[in-house]
Amino acid sequence: MDLSHYKKAWKNQPDENNKISQNEIYKMTQSKSTSIVKWIFIIGILEFVVMNSFYFLFDDTSQKEMMETYGMTNVLLVSQIIAYIILFYFLIMFYKNYREISVIENTKSLMTKILKTRKTVRNYVIFNLTYLVFISIMISVGSLRTEYAHFSTKESAMFLVFMVILTGIMVLVFWLFYQLLYGILLRKLNKNYKSLSDLEMK
Amino acid sequence: MDDFSNNQNIVHKVCRIYTTNQDQHNDLFQEIAIQLWKNYAKFRGEAKFSTWMYRVALNTAISLYRKSTRTVKTQDFSDVSFKIASNDYDDTQDQQLTALYNAIRNLNDIDKALIFLYLEDKPYKEIAIALGISEVNARVKMNRAKDKLKKILNP
Repeated sequence: MDLSHYKKAWKNQPDENNKISQNEIYKMTQSKSTSIVKWIFIIGILEFVVMNSFYFLFDDTSQKEMMETYGMTNVLLVSQIIAYIILFYFLIMFYKNYREISVIENTKSLMTKILKTRKTVRNYVIFNLTYLVFISIMISVGSLRTEYAHFSTKESAMFLVFMVILTGIMVLVFWLFYQLLYGILLRKLNKNYKSLSDLEMK
Repeated sequence: MDDFSNNQNIVHKVCRIYTTNQDQHNDLFQEIAIQLWKNYAKFRGEAKFSTWMYRVALNTAISLYRKSTRTVKTQDFSDVSFKIASNDYDDTQDQQLTALYNAIRNLNDIDKALIFLYLEDKPYKEIAIALGISEVNARVKMNRAKDKLKKILNP
């Protein structure tokens, strides 16, 4: 059967029988929104808070003393300043992305922007993981040079392998967590975006 | 908000093709209402209000993160909801409409939007602008979507 018959049926379909009153619509508009972008923004902020609270959870003074004995206070300080500058840059980007996204744009640019937000979040996570690896390298090198200086080559090698595995596990856990979180949120959008871009490629 | 109240049927239709039960329908309706309300200040009247509303409604439906309430299909409301008919509304059309809705629900999000805009008689120019693709691409995509729909309707 031709689609035009169905089109006719579509046009003749009765109006929704339970029309929502203006008052009800107004009440609806005052409630909280659940859009995907909002979730990305909220999760991004949460990640920022959680990841940073890790730094505070570890006893700061012992860390400082540790770095002093390693002779790395300056390196740590500089790296922390740089890290915070970068973190604030990400926070500003999160907010900017969030503000820029609007459903009144065309569908494709809407999705481009949502996926751009995701990219920002991904870069943010990559940065965090890199910093984690950096700190872990500093601790390994520092402790080998000072308190474990008496280690034989074999012992040093074992210590390094242990540190690599430990860091690897931490990175993996964070990475999986990230994949799960945003993978679920963005699977549908990714598909839609691909479906819209497919044609331009050809 | 007067405009929205008068055009709310458009939103209900969008909700019907993008959701499968009444709860989801109400959720999506609410989200679209919020988006229309939030963005109304940016509506400058360069298009008809209803045209603008099509875009906001479809974009919201496509980009909304659906809560993981994957309810069992037997709770579908579609089969009964069109039985309240006016006098000149015959039974064949009623069946066609139900079949049409069920078929559209099997399409992907973008095809749903295309078919919806086709059924609403929107010109290709507007469809292309709404989706952000060229008019030529809109035609190609539309033809494919129609083919998919036909296959589902007449297997």
